[in-house]
Amino acid sequence: MRLPVHSSLLALALTASAVAMPGAASATDIQMWVRASGATAAQFMIDLWNASHDDKVVATVIPDNQMVTKLATGSQAGDVPDMVSFDLIYMPDFMKAGFLKDITDEMKKDPNYAGVAQAYKDIATYDGKIYGAGFTPDVSVLLWNKDLFKAAGLDPDKAPATLQEIHEDAKKITALGNDTYGYYFSGSCPGCNIFVTSPMMVAAGSKLLPTKAGDDALTGDGVKDVLTEMKAMWDEKLIPDSAQADTGANFFATFETGKIGIQGTGGFAISALKHDKPDMNFGIGFIPGTKAGEASAFVGGDVIAIPAASKHADLALQFIHWELTDEAQLEGLAKNSIIPSRPALADNKYFKDEPRVVTTAQALGKGFTPYALHFNDMVNSDSSPWIQMLQTAIFDGDVDGAIKTAQDAMKAIAAQ
Amino acid sequence: MNLGRRNLLGLAYMAPALLFVAVFVLYPFGQLIYTSFTDASLLGGGKWVGAANYVRIFTGDPQFWKALWFTLKYTVIITPVLMGLGYALALLTAQNDRVLQFARGVIFMPVVIGLGTSSLLWFWLFDQQVGLFDKALVDLHIANSMIVWFTNADWALWAVIISVTWKVVGFGMILFVAAIQSISREVVEASQIDGAGYWQRVSMIYAPLTLRTVLLVTLISAIGSMLAFEQLYIMTGGGPRGLTFTSVYWIYQSAFIKFQLGYGSALAIVLTAIITIAAAIQIFLTSRSAPQ
Repeated sequence: MRLPVHSSLLALALTASAVAMPGAASATDIQMWVRASGATAAQFMIDLWNASHDDKVVATVIPDNQMVTKLATGSQAGDVPDMVSFDLIYMPDFMKAGFLKDITDEMKKDPNYAGVAQAYKDIATYDGKIYGAGFTPDVSVLLWNKDLFKAAGLDPDKAPATLQEIHEDAKKITALGNDTYGYYFSGSCPGCNIFVTSPMMVAAGSKLLPTKAGDDALTGDGVKDVLTEMKAMWDEKLIPDSAQADTGANFFATFETGKIGIQGTGGFAISALKHDKPDMNFGIGFIPGTKAGEASAFVGGDVIAIPAASKHADLALQFIHWELTDEAQLEGLAKNSIIPSRPALADNKYFKDEPRVVTTAQALGKGFTPYALHFNDMVNSDSSPWIQMLQTAIFDGDVDGAIKTAQDAMKAIAAQ
Repeated sequence: MNLGRRNLLGLAYMAPALLFVAVFVLYPFGQLIYTSFTDASLLGGGKWVGAANYVRIFTGDPQFWKALWFTLKYTVIITPVLMGLGYALALLTAQNDRVLQFARGVIFMPVVIGLGTSSLLWFWLFDQQVGLFDKALVDLHIANSMIVWFTNADWALWAVIISVTWKVVGFGMILFVAAIQSISREVVEASQIDGAGYWQRVSMIYAPLTLRTVLLVTLISAIGSMLAFEQLYIMTGGGPRGLTFTSVYWIYQSAFIKFQLGYGSALAIVLTAIITIAAAIQIFLTSRSAPQ
């Protein structure tokens, strides 16, 4: 094909002008790694950004259990994305390793950052420097089946206010028979239990993980009180046998059968149940402690950070500033029934018709995120002292021995 | 062509293969050995610590030896199961009529499924609430109620063995079928003329003439079992109480979950040495016992 002379000249002139003006705006792809379980929420935000910005965010979804390895090896090889959204619990390890960019000055100047949930600010700070911000939050809450509560003669609109109340309610629900059980938890899933069981201990006054070498682990009576109560529920067969072997595969699916009265879960349960089981009546409340008025939550979800070797750190920073704005928090998260990382925005037009989401958002303000190096070793690994303690105490019955062994093991890990 | 030139030419022909082995086997293995003498973390760093990792393996890591013991138990149980069942299926389907060819195809089909996929499939089949396998056992009155397989280490081991047997038994069967079919017709017919019954033919003709294949499949199966990981990772998560960790699973835990890359490398070297010694013994016995 031959181009007319004037077309060729025009093309040449345009090319020359593009070369001559290096500062001219040209769209850039901002590469982002997102862990799989936060991908849906992240995509809402990315779509919203892409709709109004020339520089597009391109997400690559990484399986949850590969994110740490991939980011660690990528960081050491210098092959990293421009920004990354990952499980907040790994922030301390990555900050200490020097894998992330220090964004202290930029965040301190951002008025929206001041309103981010404290748990996110704490977990993304190391040695007084800020390395990330909350991105797609999730928080643990108590879930109960209102139909089973009604059938058992309980008040379906009242959440159990203490662990002892959970125990009493569970007895009545299990008494309904027909393979119905009062309570459920995934007994072989360390991550599930730090999410839903540890808040009971924290609400009851315990401190769980050592932050630095020399710190004690699992302090306070809350740990023993919770384990003793859960052991009693197990012994009384208020929890199905299969809970002992559940590595997390049935963390939520068992409740969806409609035969579980109460369990801890995440805020995601609201949209999941509305979608999967539209006819199920369920309630959402705070995870209680051992005394009335005590409540806590594990603040989970993903943080967003910029790898130290990011090629477009300035654009990534723009995205982080943007995701903290009212527009992004409300139109990207709240509109899709996801709680904002700024608790003050919990009272918004999208949550008006769904008070259960408001409860979840309020739980964010009551919640905590354990700040610990070696979190995997202490908690998340299949052989961690945390899961060994739960199993030995609840299923084998040795509460005191289990706590002592776990305390020693966690202290030894923290000393590494 | 003098000897030196011939050697050079031979070396040139071998060069691509040698280069491949050097880059993709020897270099990484050397790197692994080096890392095993450091305190390298997955998060970076790594100082030379001498033999400290190896000392820790032999004096301060009982879980590794528990895992190795469990791996040996798994290997010792599953290898004869795979051999025996695979050989029996091969005897049943070795003839080349259409029905038996179809049967071979059906039995072989799970081999082409990924081990992770099949493990996940069986994890759900064994589920106490929705598992079809459990339901079948109850309906057939083999079990009184739905079994919770993964709360007991022995039950969990058998659950994994059942799933892996389903997945890989077809592989051994196909190799055994090939070995049986390669036996000369004359030999089989001569034994029949001499009045040998079916079981006599199996024990005196088929078994000795397929011994090399049996030993090869045993070696492959035993090494595969010693390296077991995915099936346990997916089905048991190492539980209950860490009783179903295999050696490789423990190496994975150490290197990638606990971030102890140096220590994980040392564990890998020890496991490699154990498997190499076991395989060498097996190959030595094979060369002595197999017909020439």
